[in-house]
Amino acid sequence: METLNTSEKKEYKLSFDGSGSEYFGIVIVNWLLTAITLGIYYPWAKANQLKYLYGATSLNDDRFAFHGTGKEMFKGFIKAIILFIVVYGIFFWLISMRMPVAAILFLYAAILGIIPIAIHGSYRYRMSRTSWRGIRFGYRGNRKELFINFFKWIFFTVITFGIYGAWLSINLRKYLLGNVRLGNMSLNYKGKGADYFVLNLKGYFLSIITLGIYIFWWQKNLFGYYINNLSAEKDGNEIKFKSTATAGDFFNLIMVNLLILVFTLGIGYAWVVTRSMNFLMNKIEMEGDIDLDSLAQTEDVYTDATGEDVGDMLNLDLVT
Amino acid sequence: MQKTKGVFYDGLSSSPQSLEIILDKENSSIVFNIISENLSWKLDEILVEQTGSNVEIRSSAGKQLQSIKISDPEFILQLKKIRREKRLTGFYHRLLDLGFRTHAIIAICILAAIGIGYVLLLPWIAERAVVFIPDSYDNSIGTAFFERYIDYTSIDSVKTKALKQFASQLNLNNTKEIKFTVVRSKTVNAFALPDGNIIVFTGIIELMMDYDELAALIGHEVAHVNNRHSMKMMCRNLAGYFFLSAVLSDVNGIMAVIGDNIHTLQSLTYSRNFEHEADAEGLKMLVANKINPKGMSKLFKRLQAKYVDIVPEFLSSHPITENRIKFIDKTISGTKPLIIDHPKLHTIFLQVKGD
Repeated sequence: METLNTSEKKEYKLSFDGSGSEYFGIVIVNWLLTAITLGIYYPWAKANQLKYLYGATSLNDDRFAFHGTGKEMFKGFIKAIILFIVVYGIFFWLISMRMPVAAILFLYAAILGIIPIAIHGSYRYRMSRTSWRGIRFGYRGNRKELFINFFKWIFFTVITFGIYGAWLSINLRKYLLGNVRLGNMSLNYKGKGADYFVLNLKGYFLSIITLGIYIFWWQKNLFGYYINNLSAEKDGNEIKFKSTATAGDFFNLIMVNLLILVFTLGIGYAWVVTRSMNFLMNKIEMEGDIDLDSLAQTEDVYTDATGEDVGDMLNLDLVT
Repeated sequence: MQKTKGVFYDGLSSSPQSLEIILDKENSSIVFNIISENLSWKLDEILVEQTGSNVEIRSSAGKQLQSIKISDPEFILQLKKIRREKRLTGFYHRLLDLGFRTHAIIAICILAAIGIGYVLLLPWIAERAVVFIPDSYDNSIGTAFFERYIDYTSIDSVKTKALKQFASQLNLNNTKEIKFTVVRSKTVNAFALPDGNIIVFTGIIELMMDYDELAALIGHEVAHVNNRHSMKMMCRNLAGYFFLSAVLSDVNGIMAVIGDNIHTLQSLTYSRNFEHEADAEGLKMLVANKINPKGMSKLFKRLQAKYVDIVPEFLSSHPITENRIKFIDKTISGTKPLIIDHPKLHTIFLQVKGD
């Protein structure tokens, strides 16, 4: 078959070939099942949707695959619910003991403490259940290390009145992406907090001055800052990622998505997702000399989806 | 026997291996040859995932992530057919295979079911749920609101006393103690709190020409208290909000926002139903007290005439005045209620007005 040996060195192609109408079917069927089961089907619905979106994304004509199951996510879902019941139980117990200050402090501390653990669990689960050509992704971050770092960054953010937030975002991204691997190929992110801060400051003020028109350039810069600082490494070889998106592209993407949602009363959501995925995959270029035929399996299976579900409950969009 | 070429990944490296794959219908398996070794996967131990024209077959038996990629449409068709015949595709995939038109119909049906449940079922359930909320709760929130509200107003104690006297002359059929307060304000408004506090602004009293109009207003407000309209409204608003965000946020955020807006509109019509109910019961109260029920339509006509351009507050969340007057006239017409003169009410009414 012609796909054989086409992944020659320095030739990479990312693409998304999911269709809006196919994804619409998946969204609707899952919606129906979730409604009929009074929400219990939700974890399965989520797994089904991820399966489709991953499966429709391909690198050098080979698809990514999501192996997570509704059952795993359901178990995580139950654990996440128990966790929240315990946290809120203690919170209300403290309230009933007439210690409102302690109760609120406890709640903040608990939720702040849950966030890094949820991020860690979510990355581990999502990566371990994703593969390409039968090679598993993996996340090798250390939970304790992330936990301590996260609190350190939050502390700096608080005492600098939020300014350090830019560094927090970039440090977190660096840590998370830097620990992601696909078999024996590892990812690397080299953004800087200061650059990111200036980028956002500029974006914020220019957007105000231009009455919002600059937002599309801001978006383009943010996306560019994410992608252009990303690279993959294996045995001394490297792949660099590059964004080719322009502000005009973002204008087109955002405005058309908005129109679709408004004029279909939200039913066109499936098309918005597939359009966006298509956009992202088309606007990322890869250059380098890693031979993608030579990746080897290195990661173990990890099936605990608790982090994923806790993240869902806190409404964090953890893995992008 | 169906045959095609495919690409195999062995789960150890990302290096592609080309192979020939055979669909063995008799043994219900697929057979292929890797490095001079014959392998066979049972059809009930594989996952078949299609995106576009490509199909990926994965073994669900072994721990290793082995997969075969094929794109021959004829082979895919046969594979899917045999899996369907042997009932190896789950109900989920069968639902997915229904096609776009069916999916669109399902979407419309779910939306319709949500709409019907929301418009018909939910208000009914919420109103019945009010029975389970103790009366003391009505009282405590009503009183809490009253105490906070009254601090920012100027009470006309003379008129308040007169209004209390006026109400004491009427048989209000009230279920709990009614407390009246007259507040100095140009605002043309009056409202009832769930604990039986009724607040009347001097602005609306000044417009009234006779005691039957004041009696109509009291009858209307007391009906709100008697029927626990505030509590019903609260129950329904909460239930409606939770219901809509639960079923719609599952799909996406935009749907939830649309749901919220529909909800606001819907609660307006819902409160109009309560106004109708209060009007109807107010009329009954007038008739029971042998007061001319026309007092109510007289009051509304006066409000309407005074405010041609701007809607007075008393009417804003209420049914369009024109409709209300029609409704009242229709209710009165045909009936011949016994009406007598109430000189005492007239005297007290003048005191309330402060003339």
